[in-house]
Amino acid sequence: MQLTAETNSSKDPMSNQITSDGNSGTFRAIYRKLPTEFGIFLVFIGIGLFFEVLGWIFVGQSFLANQQRLIIMILQMAIIGIIAVGVTQVIIMAGIDLSGGSVLAFAGIVAASLAQTSEYTRAVFPSLTDLPVIIPVAVGIFIGVCAGFVNGSIIALSGIPPFIATLGMLVSARGLARWYTSGAQVSFFTDDFAVIGSGVWPVVIFLAVAFLFHILLRYTTYGKHTYAIGSNEEAARVSGINIKKHKMLVYMIAGGLYGLAGVVITSRALTAQSGAGIMYELDAISAVVIGGTSLFGGKGRITGTIIGVCILGVLTSGFIFLRIDLFYVNIVKGMLIIAVVVADTYRHKRETKKDE
Amino acid sequence: MNMKATLTKLSNQAKTHPEVGIFIVLIGIALLFEILGWIFVGQSFLFNQKRLIIIILQVSIIGIIAVGVTQVIISAGIDLSGGSLVGLAAMVAASMAQDADYAKAMYPSLTGLPVIIPVLAGILVGVVAGCINGGIISLTGIPPFIATLGMLVVARAVATWYTEGHPIFMLSDGYTALGTGVRPVIIFITVALIFHILLKYTVYGKHTYAIGSNEEAARVAGIKIARHKVLVYSIAGGLSGLAGVVMSARATMGQAGMGIGYELDAISAAVIGGTSLFGGKGRMTGTFIGVFILGVITSGFTFLRIDSYYQEIAKGAIIITAIIFDQYRQKKRAKAQEKGA
Repeated sequence: MQLTAETNSSKDPMSNQITSDGNSGTFRAIYRKLPTEFGIFLVFIGIGLFFEVLGWIFVGQSFLANQQRLIIMILQMAIIGIIAVGVTQVIIMAGIDLSGGSVLAFAGIVAASLAQTSEYTRAVFPSLTDLPVIIPVAVGIFIGVCAGFVNGSIIALSGIPPFIATLGMLVSARGLARWYTSGAQVSFFTDDFAVIGSGVWPVVIFLAVAFLFHILLRYTTYGKHTYAIGSNEEAARVSGINIKKHKMLVYMIAGGLYGLAGVVITSRALTAQSGAGIMYELDAISAVVIGGTSLFGGKGRITGTIIGVCILGVLTSGFIFLRIDLFYVNIVKGMLIIAVVVADTYRHKRETKKDE
Repeated sequence: MNMKATLTKLSNQAKTHPEVGIFIVLIGIALLFEILGWIFVGQSFLFNQKRLIIIILQVSIIGIIAVGVTQVIISAGIDLSGGSLVGLAAMVAASMAQDADYAKAMYPSLTGLPVIIPVLAGILVGVVAGCINGGIISLTGIPPFIATLGMLVVARAVATWYTEGHPIFMLSDGYTALGTGVRPVIIFITVALIFHILLKYTVYGKHTYAIGSNEEAARVAGIKIARHKVLVYSIAGGLSGLAGVVMSARATMGQAGMGIGYELDAISAAVIGGTSLFGGKGRMTGTFIGVFILGVITSGFTFLRIDSYYQEIAKGAIIITAIIFDQYRQKKRAKAQEKGA
């Protein structure tokens, strides 16, 4: 069906007459008929195949047909993915959250300190070992929610730009993570806690979280209010949405997801350190914007974010596969986030022009 | 009676010269550490020449960056790339400042060069990066914090790539002289003075304030917004480059990790000094005092032997407090204007 639509519209004489950019006009007509995520998905497939070809040329082995690599790739994506689900909601609301990586580290190390086994004699809290697994998990998420509450209330009540408020949290939460154990690592966890990060559990948690918030964003009042605030805060206020309360809620949910990501990464690494998750917030923001969520707010979907996370994961993994040094990866990542935001800005400008 | 008169006079002055208020805060913080010093450490905080010199030297590197950041913020932008540009410029400058006697120099043919060459190279690297920042921001219209966040990542990665992470040693005596003694302080004060004058008395400054207050009005008034933004970001980049040169000269080495987190200190200093993140408002004198407040706090924490973790936590809190205060001031002013009208 989509193919016929393609041929039909390319033969449409009207669209060819549209002055100089007639061709791109036709192209846009096809593009609009497909779900937004289709284009991003094609890019994802393209990048995967690109590395496959480069792999055969330069490394002499397949990139995709390697079970171990695929598993590592998917597990890495799961952590960034959980953060990105939170960041997506914040960005849809026309906010931004830079504190993800630091909150992850702080929540991870606090959760770890409550998940130690009694067999280890030098536990952080010798009286709090062998606790049921729910306690460290709940505490980790709670720490994230608290950080989100601080972010949200500063932003909602004082009205300072979100990137500054969360930048402050980026610095403070990293400081708290160092302070908590004076920089020492925390390890020796109970078996139950270690299970959370083993096998495919991180992926299951990521998909469950993504699914839950996909539904919440799409079919509930929570989602409607989030989109409404992001599209036009003044209109949302006039129509009776409690802006301050909702903003705090969204930042708290995002914070809770960073806390969850901290629990998962700690359990997977079997150790918690204050340096965990540095720059993860950038990866998450890139993934979200690649997935079609607009930094101008009011637009975005969790499905897009999932594909965005996959694209980022394939890129990182592909670079390592081709044995390209880490600083090149960082150069590419830095340029990628700029390129993606530039594309988003153009999209936004074009749409506002059309509206006029 | 006399006391009361002085106080009213002071508060009036604080209203006309916002710097007076910030200066009183600086004195207050210094006295607080002085008292805490006598209680907990048993020695004076301020009457220690060595400590004062360290404070002033630390302050000057951040200060040079803050002079650039102040101008960017006045134009209603933001620049997060300062710290990474310090690292990049330090590496590039150091690689051209190596001693001719050193057999394993990075560029064996470029040793023993006159000092001006590495200095210019460092500043140039900063200017180029700033030009890219400004170009991206003004041509595409993306939020400045994203563009400069990208530069933060890229510049740090390029600095690491430059020598694959190895530090650069054996710098020539002429080069390291730039960082010895009070030279960094002189450079900082000179830079601050130059840009104080430029901002206050020239077209450059008027345009910067105009763009920050109301970009649309500035455009209508015939200011070339894009060109001016590129200029402001290039100047900020160049100053970060200069800070990198001074820092590598003082440390007598270049290292890719230099200046991590300095952009935050510089932004804090500018905002503490009364520059508004909403643009159009701010002065070099305020930033000057803001830098010293940060320096005294950092040094005071070290003096009281408080762990560096607390410093990080406190810094995050200070930035946010300063900005909330700024926000509050803006609201009050807007209300007062409404009443006046």
